[in-house]
Amino acid sequence: MAGSAATTVAIGSMAWYYHLYGTELHAMTPAEEGLHPTKYPWEHVAWTKTFDHQALRRGFQVYREVCSSCHSLSRIPYRSLVGVTHTVDEAKAMAEENEYDTEPNDEGEIEKRPGKLSDYLPNPYKNDEAARAANNGALPPDLSLMVKARHGGCDYIFSLLTGYPEEPPPGVKLADGLNFNPYFPGTGIAMARVLYNDLVEYEDGTPASSSQMAKDVVEFLNWSAEPEMDQRKKMGMKVLVITSLLTALSIWVKRYKWSPIKTRKIAYSPPKMGGTGPNGH
Amino acid sequence: MGFFDTFTDILEAALPWGEARAEAAEPEEKDDEKESGEEGKEDEESKDEPEEAEEEEEEDEPETEDPKEKFEEECKESKQCSPAKHHFDECVERVTGADEGKPVDKKHPNEDCVEEFFHLAHCANQCAAPKLWAALK
Repeated sequence: MAGSAATTVAIGSMAWYYHLYGTELHAMTPAEEGLHPTKYPWEHVAWTKTFDHQALRRGFQVYREVCSSCHSLSRIPYRSLVGVTHTVDEAKAMAEENEYDTEPNDEGEIEKRPGKLSDYLPNPYKNDEAARAANNGALPPDLSLMVKARHGGCDYIFSLLTGYPEEPPPGVKLADGLNFNPYFPGTGIAMARVLYNDLVEYEDGTPASSSQMAKDVVEFLNWSAEPEMDQRKKMGMKVLVITSLLTALSIWVKRYKWSPIKTRKIAYSPPKMGGTGPNGH
Repeated sequence: MGFFDTFTDILEAALPWGEARAEAAEPEEKDDEKESGEEGKEDEESKDEPEEAEEEEEEDEPETEDPKEKFEEECKESKQCSPAKHHFDECVERVTGADEGKPVDKKHPNEDCVEEFFHLAHCANQCAAPKLWAALK
């Protein structure tokens, strides 16, 4: 009787303890956390792969024709596009389409001049306040380092761009001016869906489906965040090859130099004691 | 292919006479040739013809379809995602039913289907990702 009561109390207290402390607690609801992006098999992420520069060129076209009306790309000058996505002449022509301030002239006035290769891509707004005012209070972030700046990188941006559902799931209440996007933490995002099929016309004839555009622009943004990636991978490979060769060589040299020492034999022959040796001691 | 690329890359990197080159500029070079020497005129005419033909082909293309949407729709209907789809559909019915005045679950008066939607979208994306990448350029 006492035994079964004790067992009941023990099991009961364990159950109560588990009920109180055992279940995992989440500070945020899944909606606040946002849907985690799917891993896509990006080609350029592989160790031995470079950016697909055809895709970069398409991606820049998408940025220029679509994203650049709200998002700046302030860390990229026209010169860095040369040899990556465009030729010198093409980059110059694009730079000249914009106006930049000159140095003050003799009267101290600042005039306008056409852009040069060394100029940075123009910002769509004069400053952050103007950007907020034009976008219902939401600031479109600068995209230069966006792939590095967001958890999930390329996958996140691709999912965000292509993840707008036709209509939000039932029961969702969004604040005014927000759109439903499952990948955005909190699910309410100020940016509306922008990529629709055939929004841009690619020079190389690639069908411009919205996911194709998103893929290209994300790869381009990855380039803008890590323009050194191609070079870095090449250098890394060189370093690995050369250091492994040198390591092997140094091991061989060490063994070679030490071989007489490692293979020597120290023999000690004690003097014969007792005086009955062949010498007649 | 990737494996051999590695070796050619290493070789190129190691060779001192290797050369990094910005792509393109070919058509411009051709233009220069044409300007400098008139001998190339016959070539010029013959080169222009195939380009025009290509342009015509491009114009005929019908409206593009988004492969992502297509694959995800297929994936949502697949066996793999049927539990998630079932839960989502059930939730939609429950919540839209509540809007229409049916008895509301007292425990969760303001229910939404975000979680169910997440599970379904996650499943569909997971299933569509490799197919999508095979279809995109």
